[in-house]
Amino acid sequence: MSATLSPGTPAPPFRLRTLHGDEAGVGSAATGPATLLFFFKHDCPTCDFVAPLVGQLSQRLGDEGLRSVAVSQSDSAASAAFAAKHALEIPVALDEELSASEAYAFDSVPCLVLVSGDGRVLRAFQGFGREDFFALVADAARTCGAAVPSLERPGERWPENRPGCASRVHDPEVAQRLAVRRGAAQLSARRVHIPVADDPFEFFAALGIDDGLPVVPPTEARVVRMLEGTKRSPSEVVALVPPNLAPATVEKIAINAVMAGCRPEYLRIVIAALEAACTDEFNLHGVLATTYFPTPVIVVNGPIRHEIGINCAGNVFGQGFRANATIGRAVQLVVRNVGGGRPGEVDMATLGQPGKYTCCIGENEEESPWEPLHVERGFRREQNTVTLFAGEAPRAILDQTSRSARSLATSMGLCLESVAHPKFHGYGEVLLVVCPEHCRTLEADGWSKADLRRRIQEATSRPLGQCLPDAECAEGLPLQALPSDLMGQDGRPRPEILALPLPKFRRDEDILIVVAGARAGKFSAVLGGWVGGKMGSVAVTREIGA
Amino acid sequence: MSDSDRVILDPTAERSPLRRRLSARGARLRGPIGLVDIAKARGDVFLDELEVRLRLRLPGEQILRLRKPTFTKPTPPSLRDEIAQRCRVVIQALAD
Repeated sequence: MSATLSPGTPAPPFRLRTLHGDEAGVGSAATGPATLLFFFKHDCPTCDFVAPLVGQLSQRLGDEGLRSVAVSQSDSAASAAFAAKHALEIPVALDEELSASEAYAFDSVPCLVLVSGDGRVLRAFQGFGREDFFALVADAARTCGAAVPSLERPGERWPENRPGCASRVHDPEVAQRLAVRRGAAQLSARRVHIPVADDPFEFFAALGIDDGLPVVPPTEARVVRMLEGTKRSPSEVVALVPPNLAPATVEKIAINAVMAGCRPEYLRIVIAALEAACTDEFNLHGVLATTYFPTPVIVVNGPIRHEIGINCAGNVFGQGFRANATIGRAVQLVVRNVGGGRPGEVDMATLGQPGKYTCCIGENEEESPWEPLHVERGFRREQNTVTLFAGEAPRAILDQTSRSARSLATSMGLCLESVAHPKFHGYGEVLLVVCPEHCRTLEADGWSKADLRRRIQEATSRPLGQCLPDAECAEGLPLQALPSDLMGQDGRPRPEILALPLPKFRRDEDILIVVAGARAGKFSAVLGGWVGGKMGSVAVTREIGA
Repeated sequence: MSDSDRVILDPTAERSPLRRRLSARGARLRGPIGLVDIAKARGDVFLDELEVRLRLRLPGEQILRLRKPTFTKPTPPSLRDEIAQRCRVVIQALAD
């Protein structure tokens, strides 16, 4: 017997429409000394057996104050036929939506519940038991201050026990519907009705809540299912999303994750990515608003990559992998729909790039000869993390002939020098994605990430004078960016300063290194960053929570 | 599609109602052009004149005449659907 039906517990209140059109149930107000509830299904043989007994009990104790209510799990037509078959003169309440049945939490019908005048369960049982029924009759009579009626006719002996039938709450499709109803009750988002004449996908496009590609309609059932992907409360605010600094609750993130096509197990990665993106350090507002190219690039580390199928290998920046495609997309949809960041409005990108639909990869930790990105950044290998980096689209680093680490690292440096503009030295962060074949070359010579960074900086070093604007090319390091102690009286850098070698990157550690891609192919990639430091964006790593 | 599939949860921050975006305005007027008479007195005269001028200015463009049953009630759903299906541009007249 469930805890709900234990003697002494408060009987859940309910009011349901009856066959006669009025209402019946159990309320918080006292309604006589006792109420007998008879839950039934029209096609349950044991309910057929019990119904006349309930009718007789009602006739014998009704005048003494016993209220009786039959509660049907069947539709109104079947319920009416059942009542007529048994000449039930008590109200028959219709519980087709199973709200009362779910509240009383019984597993089978018939279920008899005797409720006291002050709304507490006196006695309850499921199916039929002869002794149980005798005890219930005695309790009812005592509560009403009446003599105990004898309902078993002379010569008749009821069966000791008769099992009931499963309550409809356990029908598979009903159980799912009830789970959605329970879950949906927690959801606070505005409900939007798609007009009958509208194609749902055209409707979303007309509302402007998609990213140009069709989205999955975020129905209550889908959002409830998506929320199973996290232990966090739907109402918890995860982040304030730029540009409007609107609160993104777990529920809102789940809605957009449904639209993106995520599976529930991806949700906590989307949440972690938004936590990282909405930090002051990452500066999502700047990343969104700039006329430049960056998008939030999501790099996933840890065992979760394989648990949910994040691609770390071949075609890692390309199509074909649901987790990669939808996790990044969900983040972008939240920025658009919750934060209000849309192209042509706050998003002022001149050209943009395909990664603004989605850009999410897993690091190929298994092919890497080094510590993975998240371990370098202070996490344990077994922790699951996301690293958000404000990155351009990947550009190729082709080197199919280097057989030494030094030669390969030199190639990489020469390619990296062209990030943004070859004369822009003292640059901020970049993301270098080293393919497995290139890893093997570096590993063969025992090179670490530090060795690779050092050689890249050497290979990209140019005299400062070559990085300044000149008659041939007006682009370059602005003079006003140089420290004043390097400048001469004429407002130009002192001659000896012009010869100083200036590497491409401000610091060696600005070169973020991950391993990804297929085992075949000597092509790595670089994703240039945006403005670095406090004015711009720096990469942020967050642990993926529950 | 069941009734529950036609109810979705709002993905936005809900700071304003969800509204359909206006269709993009074309650089020039192209048909089919629907002239919808709202059934007020002599609105048809106005639309007749408008139709003449449109046919002169836009030879070859299709012009359709449609009419509400009454101006006192909203456009019936069937007429709204017909307008959506058949017309690229709609001119609805004439209110006073």
